[in-house]
Amino acid sequence: MSVSDVFSIGVSALYAQKLALEVTSENISNVNTPGYSKQTAILESGIPNQDGRFPVGSGVRVASIRRVYDDFLQKQLVSSNSSAGNYNTQQTAMQRVEQLFNEFSAAGLGTDLTSFFNSWQDLADNPSGQAERQAVLAQGNTLVSDFQRMNNSLNQVKSDANQSLQGLTSDVNDKLKRLAVLNDQIHQLEFQGGNANELRDSRDKLIQDLSEKVSVTYMNEPDGTVTVSLPQGATLVTGNQAGSFSLEPDPSNSGFFKVLLTGPGSSVGSDVTQIITKADGSQGEIGATLQVRDSLVDGFISGLDELAYNLAEQVNSVHGSGYSLSGATGIDFFSPPSTPTPPASYAAGYSRSIAMNITNINDIATASSDPTVNGTTGDNGNALKIAALATRSISMSTGNSTFSGYYNSLVGKSGVAAQVAEQGAIQSSAGIKQLQEMRDSASGVSLDEELANLIAYQKSYEGAAKLINVGTDMLDTVLSLVR
Amino acid sequence: MRVTDNATARMVLATLQQQQERVYTLQQQVSSGMRINAPSDDPVSAQQALDMKVLIAANDQYSRNINTGNTWLAQMDSSLSDMNNVMVRAKELATQMANGIYDAGARQNAANEIQGLKDQLISLGNTQIGGKYIFGGFVSDQPPFITTDGVPSPGDMAGDFKGTDDPINVQIDQQSFVAINYSGGKLLRGGTPPGSSGTDIIGTLDGLITALNNNDTGSIRSSIDKINSSMQQMQAAQGDVGARENRLEKAGDVLTGTRDYLTKALSGKQDADYLQVLSDLTKQQTAYQATLASTAMFSKISLLDYMR
Repeated sequence: MSVSDVFSIGVSALYAQKLALEVTSENISNVNTPGYSKQTAILESGIPNQDGRFPVGSGVRVASIRRVYDDFLQKQLVSSNSSAGNYNTQQTAMQRVEQLFNEFSAAGLGTDLTSFFNSWQDLADNPSGQAERQAVLAQGNTLVSDFQRMNNSLNQVKSDANQSLQGLTSDVNDKLKRLAVLNDQIHQLEFQGGNANELRDSRDKLIQDLSEKVSVTYMNEPDGTVTVSLPQGATLVTGNQAGSFSLEPDPSNSGFFKVLLTGPGSSVGSDVTQIITKADGSQGEIGATLQVRDSLVDGFISGLDELAYNLAEQVNSVHGSGYSLSGATGIDFFSPPSTPTPPASYAAGYSRSIAMNITNINDIATASSDPTVNGTTGDNGNALKIAALATRSISMSTGNSTFSGYYNSLVGKSGVAAQVAEQGAIQSSAGIKQLQEMRDSASGVSLDEELANLIAYQKSYEGAAKLINVGTDMLDTVLSLVR
Repeated sequence: MRVTDNATARMVLATLQQQQERVYTLQQQVSSGMRINAPSDDPVSAQQALDMKVLIAANDQYSRNINTGNTWLAQMDSSLSDMNNVMVRAKELATQMANGIYDAGARQNAANEIQGLKDQLISLGNTQIGGKYIFGGFVSDQPPFITTDGVPSPGDMAGDFKGTDDPINVQIDQQSFVAINYSGGKLLRGGTPPGSSGTDIIGTLDGLITALNNNDTGSIRSSIDKINSSMQQMQAAQGDVGARENRLEKAGDVLTGTRDYLTKALSGKQDADYLQVLSDLTKQQTAYQATLASTAMFSKISLLDYMR
């Protein structure tokens, strides 16, 4: 062994400890960077030289800078993010629906339904009273506008969902493009033997963010790129090429958008609306938005339609059999006419089109026989019959129930829907929290640990420098022999 | 488990958020006084609470109907008493005039008084409440009995009944209806045509007037029997009205009882239990403060402090 070996070993140590310190400082500086994975300098001893009879090592070198990373956790985070995105979107929409049906915060359709029938009771107590007639007309108008307002608001939830698809798809498209770029950069860097740890972290984070919007699966390719696809197989990103989503109005679905996917390198879009709508609660924000638009809200609209239709049909049929103050009979109370088609069904959109047929208070048919014949303006027979409809059990699609009972069950349904979405959101966010914790535990940066490493590497660096000092001394000693 | 700085920060944040959310929910319950502030708080109870509210509203409406009924029936009761008093005087006069000691002149005067009594009876038959004639059946906006001065001549049409015998019903509970009127035709004319189902009281008085004018003691005597059955007819009507007043009163009592019960049940479903909520709130606040304090304490400690 020559004295110069001391130098080369010392230099290798200086170099390796310096690199390790650099990794430590990278870790410290990225302690708060989302998606950053802790890196470790893996040190290994140099290849030993046969020196005389004893093999002696040739110092230390950094074998690699490893990124502490668990692909299994990453995959789970990706799928949890999809269900969190899904439930959060559902929750927002269902809370809006619930608020419409919230009879607890403000009087709504349910209260007005009761007031409507109560006004008929008051009218029965005084059938020719102008004030009572006015009240019935006013309550009828309130009821009609309640139906219209709720129908309108529910449809607004649907069209808002439809509109939000534009932002969502352009966001997703942007992410897909960035993924393709990252794929390319990582491939280039690693092909040249470089270290792409930070880029890989960014790519993982990007896939996580993407999965919140739309459910995806991904596969690591040997060349360092990832292939991202929909769970059902359609490819979104492969190598440095990205596919894209586009929207197109669908005439068969009231002009709402259908979602088209143009695969990477392709120029033809195919309809994937059904694929990403699949209602298993893990379809990300786009899937949930489509569910809100195409199925979740529809149940409430058809419920309102059925209620409005049956109410109009029952009230009209009794009202039509009675006589107004001027002796007219066969007048509908509500419009448009609800054609009774046994078994009682309902017309779609009725809660939007329902209106008052009567505008003149004297047209309200309180009498069961013509009051102009004998001056029987006190005849309240028909008013009593209409008032009694409040407690009559009507055959509805959900079985027999009163109007109020049916409406209250709709309120209950809105509560259940909001609750289910809320619990889904809570559970998926708890799941994500758990996974994040596990990821932090494995890949997160611990400052204390890094500081301890800092001291260790610093001391090693000092030691290595000392080694060079000693080497110099040794060399000096040898050289002084010559003098 | 390896604990990292980020994990601690995330955990603290999540815990604080959770605690604040609980405090928010509890404070909402305190300020609204209700356990259910949206259907999703408890969908089943929410639906039941709303069903109860519907029942309570219907209950209140039935009570209002009963009030209307009570007003009508009470007025009817008092009118019937007045009518009965009129007939008492008529009977007194008839009994007196049946006696032979009176002359034609006295009977003429009596006839005039009976005419006055008849007018009184007719005007009682035209009793109104809030502009509605209560003895006219469905004819409630015009006087059911034609009065002497408002008559289409010729001939004495006074006392003719223009109303109907229809019952004016009000609903007093989900199934029951009670009539709040009594037909003037049945009461004072003994049905339509007069006398077809009972005593024609107006007709009886008309007959008495004719007999007095004609100084016909025989007819006067025979009209006394008719006056007796007239009074029975009135008392029967009064009994009927009284019975219905009782029925309304009992129905009202039942409604009040039901209302109490429903209100209590509704309160159990939707109202917040203040004792529980406030003690929960205190507990939450303590937990929140403890989390804040411990976070502030531990985030100060770092290896950095010992590296100088």
